[in-house]
Amino acid sequence: MMTEHNVMRVMGVAATIVAVGVAGWFLPDYYLGIAVKALIYIGLAVAWNLIGGFAGQLSLGHSVFIAIGALLPSALLLKEGVNFWAGMAIAAIVSALLGAVISWIAFRFRLGHLYFALITLAFAELGWFVIIGTEYLGGASGFFLASGPMNLARFEFATTQQYFVVAFMAVLAAIGLSAWIFHSKLGYYLRAIRNNEDAAQAIGINLLACKVVVMVISAALSSVIGSIYARFSGFVDPNLFASPLIIIEIVLFTAIGGIGTVWGPVVGAGLLVPLGEVLRGHLGNALPGLHLAIYGFLIVIVILVMPGGITRGVASIRKALQGLFTKSRSDVPA
Amino acid sequence: MDLSILPQTIAQGVLVGSTYGLIGLSMGLMYSVSGAISLAQGHMVSMSMYLVLSLYTGLQLDPYVSVAITLPVLALAGAALYWFLIRPLSGNAIMVFQASLGLMFLIENVLLMIYGGQFHQVPSIVSNRFITFGDAMIMKLPLLIGFGVTGALAGILFVTLEYTDYGRSMRAVHQNERSAALVGVNVQKVRLWVFAMSGAVIAIAGVLLVPSTPLHPAEGLKYTLVGLMPLVLAGMSNFFGILLSGVIIGLAEAIGTVYISGAIGLSLPYIIFILILIFRPHGLFKGH
Repeated sequence: MMTEHNVMRVMGVAATIVAVGVAGWFLPDYYLGIAVKALIYIGLAVAWNLIGGFAGQLSLGHSVFIAIGALLPSALLLKEGVNFWAGMAIAAIVSALLGAVISWIAFRFRLGHLYFALITLAFAELGWFVIIGTEYLGGASGFFLASGPMNLARFEFATTQQYFVVAFMAVLAAIGLSAWIFHSKLGYYLRAIRNNEDAAQAIGINLLACKVVVMVISAALSSVIGSIYARFSGFVDPNLFASPLIIIEIVLFTAIGGIGTVWGPVVGAGLLVPLGEVLRGHLGNALPGLHLAIYGFLIVIVILVMPGGITRGVASIRKALQGLFTKSRSDVPA
Repeated sequence: MDLSILPQTIAQGVLVGSTYGLIGLSMGLMYSVSGAISLAQGHMVSMSMYLVLSLYTGLQLDPYVSVAITLPVLALAGAALYWFLIRPLSGNAIMVFQASLGLMFLIENVLLMIYGGQFHQVPSIVSNRFITFGDAMIMKLPLLIGFGVTGALAGILFVTLEYTDYGRSMRAVHQNERSAALVGVNVQKVRLWVFAMSGAVIAIAGVLLVPSTPLHPAEGLKYTLVGLMPLVLAGMSNFFGILLSGVIIGLAEAIGTVYISGAIGLSLPYIIFILILIFRPHGLFKGH
């Protein structure tokens, strides 16, 4: 019974992947661009969800990792001629180290979830100032990353289709990693920590080690996706990559989709990024700010109506419907 | 390093910091009775500043006069925030936190729609008045007024909390919501009032900032941050600690901009904040 359910599930996921891949290939360029952006944000949301969702530690400092992932490989490539792949790896290592330091500072003492959010927000703002003030990382003006014909060895791509494939593969890998962590021992530890730190500590879970490890993984993954985003954008703008706004958006996508679930960040970013782009396309010229105001309003409404996010909301509706059917069946007199 | 401007830098930092402390105080009030924090408080400050701008352009009201209108409006906004956002989410801090991020987008972009993306300035009759102390110190009058108002508010708050029934029921809700309800405190009413108070404090902070600060819709996050840092440094609900920590952040900002050039100077408040947390993770003061 369970295995049958699992087989169905795997087939469903596989069919979705194929459908998305095929649809992506035939979309017109403008919409394909939106799809690539959505995929990148899904990747970022999945990475954030590891620490923010699974462990329940709302980090607002991830903009620093995304910015390092975007700016450091670009700087290394343009100034030192370092291969972009190598730059990506270096940026991921730097982000991981920084993630370890930040989480060590914040988690040394158990100070609660909100506290962590507030401290990391200060780190995000600090990171922004430092990045904008550092000439080597492009300062306030950022970089232009010229891209020639496709060259995998140099991580250069020419068409939106090629970026779509790259982003799609990266996102699949990120979701795979996230699902694996979710079902691993670490995943269970993290959920135990999220739900009750005292109980988790009492059964012998090393709180600090678990939180730091997942922060490191999340930081490195954010950095790698940030690198891909930089390559796709061409113009690496610190006001996009290093501003705390990017992480606030990612937290919102995840919250709307369903924080702490494997598929929540995928659903959230997958729905909201295209919605945001469409709103901007239709309303952005009419009145600046209107599309983002609508966006903000929708977000507040969704959180009020479905506090656990869309994935949990849909699951509970399905359960309620099932309950309705079984009830009506049991109502039939024997 | 020019030490002759040091006294003036310090005074400037103390005066600006007292306004930051007020923003932190509005968050602390909110946190003390609901356990939740709204990250849109800085955007509420922006909102109150733009309201002052509208009252100035529409009715030629001086900022210090228009507080008579912005204070009740923001108090209502604070109460509405509780009623429509925090109460339905039953004070679940994480949900409130997320919803407040959405609220940030909403407020910032509504302001952008109404007022546009350019900087605005609201002059006050006291904007360009200066007061000199001795030879070296020249202070802007608006900053002095801000400092005086903050001090007066701190006094009022202290008396309210310590000596009135209202203050006692507020402390009761903070310490133990269930026991407070058992002894007949109307918890929901206390919360509603404290949120209204938090909005009123925001209105005052906005009015105090207006004469010396240009207005822009995207400044909200900055105000949230300069309020959050004192809040965290003071261990979340020590109100006097918050006001004092605001001064520390203001000092770090003033000294950073005057004496240290570039990125490090601008980020000095954040560096100081993080350093304090490394050495005193539970904040500078013991909470009650």
